[in-house]
Amino acid sequence: MTIILRMTWKELLRKRVLLLTLFMTVLFLIAYWFIASAIGGEVHRYGLSPDDPQLLVERYSRGMFIISLGFFFGAFVVAFLSIFSSSSVISGEAELGVMQALMPRPLPRWQWYAGRWLGYVSFGMGYALVLYAAILGVAGMHAGVPRDMGTLFIAYLLFASVVPLLVSVSMLGSGFLSAIGNGVFMTMLYGGGWLGGMIDKLAAQFASLQETVGGSLATISGLLSLAMPADGLQRTMMDRLFNMDALRQFTGIQVDSLMSMLGVGSAPSPAFLWYALAYTIVAFVLGIWRFQRKDL
Amino acid sequence: MIAIQTEGLTKRFDNGRGCSDVSITVREGEAFGFLGPNGAGKSTCVKMLVGLIFPTEGRASLFGEPIGSLSARRLLGYLPELYRYQEWLTGEEVVRLHAQMCRLPRAEADRRVPQLLERVGIGLRSRDRVKNYSKGMQQRLGLACALVGDPRILFLDEPSSAMDPIGRSEVRELLHELKAQGKTIFLNSHLMEDVESLCNRVALLNNGRILQQGTVEEVLQQRPVWRLRVGGFAPALLDWLRGETGLAFRLAASEPDGSAVLEAELENEEQAGWLHALILDQGMTLYESTRAKTRLEEWFVTELSGKSHRGEKA
Repeated sequence: MTIILRMTWKELLRKRVLLLTLFMTVLFLIAYWFIASAIGGEVHRYGLSPDDPQLLVERYSRGMFIISLGFFFGAFVVAFLSIFSSSSVISGEAELGVMQALMPRPLPRWQWYAGRWLGYVSFGMGYALVLYAAILGVAGMHAGVPRDMGTLFIAYLLFASVVPLLVSVSMLGSGFLSAIGNGVFMTMLYGGGWLGGMIDKLAAQFASLQETVGGSLATISGLLSLAMPADGLQRTMMDRLFNMDALRQFTGIQVDSLMSMLGVGSAPSPAFLWYALAYTIVAFVLGIWRFQRKDL
Repeated sequence: MIAIQTEGLTKRFDNGRGCSDVSITVREGEAFGFLGPNGAGKSTCVKMLVGLIFPTEGRASLFGEPIGSLSARRLLGYLPELYRYQEWLTGEEVVRLHAQMCRLPRAEADRRVPQLLERVGIGLRSRDRVKNYSKGMQQRLGLACALVGDPRILFLDEPSSAMDPIGRSEVRELLHELKAQGKTIFLNSHLMEDVESLCNRVALLNNGRILQQGTVEEVLQQRPVWRLRVGGFAPALLDWLRGETGLAFRLAASEPDGSAVLEAELENEEQAGWLHALILDQGMTLYESTRAKTRLEEWFVTELSGKSHRGEKA
């Protein structure tokens, strides 16, 4: 399995996937630095004294907004990196003929599958860590950000948990669909989950919607989030990162509609996390089951 | 010892293709030629034997180990027909990857990999990325990969189809060398000359079913064909000979001066003398009488002529 894991990393390095991703990330971070500077710098114009608790709250509010913006983008990058790095792993390699030379070797198919999965997941989670630290670092230079290591660690795990989720589903899809077909399918599925989250956020913001079609929207949003729980994980991450329950209680910070649209303050229930975990495990196991029986 | 045994091996695809009821036995150290027109189902059979696809019915084993099992896969080396190696690796890295997957000890791999790359003729390019290799070079690389685990059975699916004449000759030489070392070779090839020179036994597959199998000598000598150069020939005599003998005659060549070359398919060699006498009795002159040596290619064409086959037009 470690042979395949190393091969996967080598592939991602040699194909310059990592290099290109890092390059684009640096460009994003430069733009993000200017955005954060513009939003965070405005706090000083309020003329509040440095000892005024209101300044602290204002800085933290601005920090929340900056971080929300960063993770709004970051969630897409991590999701698409996970999807497109793994979407052609079985069908694409079988179509190209790479599998035909490798699979007759005395290596159990499940080990090959698990090695590839570990390779993509470790790569994606590693990248997610870099992006997560960079977003918080840039935001921290211009506004208040959470500093509790426990909170930061849990929020990172939630942020990065979409990687194993999406890689598992993408590899499962690759056992059934062609490389292009699976890429399209995964993009649509992820988009569906994201749409479910957006419906949820919109319905929460507009009372008229809530009153008239709230029930139907909740059902649609729930089904879409169940079909692809990635967006729900992202919202849970934001909730844990900002420790929203405590903030509402002690500081009076209110989540306005814009921040809510960015995923703050609309976390799904704790049971959703267990659902997402089970979803990932089932997709992984089904993927192995499919690959064990697939004609190559 | 039996190296490969299949009993009623069948694979049915949704499109109706595949192969049916393939039963063959290959002994250890034999070179076995697996022949057939395009689309006959040869590659499907080979893929089942190496564990890439799963049979619908029947069973097969390699040295007694069920096909597809790890123990069976430890015994084989495989060069697929349509394949591509990881183009982002160098040739040497590809062979090392295969060595690792065969659990070859590192010291053994360090010794064996450069030797093999040299042997297949890409030693000087072994540090180049595979994406810079020609198809012929990739095929040489494929041979090195197939051999790196020192397998007891080699499955070679068109091993030199992309090579130039020098490459083909080198591969032929390598295969003879491997056969002399006692390796069992399962060769799937359209190059009949190579099959004829290397293989002990052959099987002919058409539309997924085995039409014939046996030793090369057996399949080539099933029907002794005699070639007779005669003088004083007239077309009516050909019909007379057919009627009188009940044998298949063919006019291979004829000249305006009455000389002609006839080919007769005999039931046994003893009929040759009788045939000579009949020709002389009819007033013809018999200049030359030789037993035609059938080549595998002729046998292949003859066996398949008139039969439909799903790969291409018959």
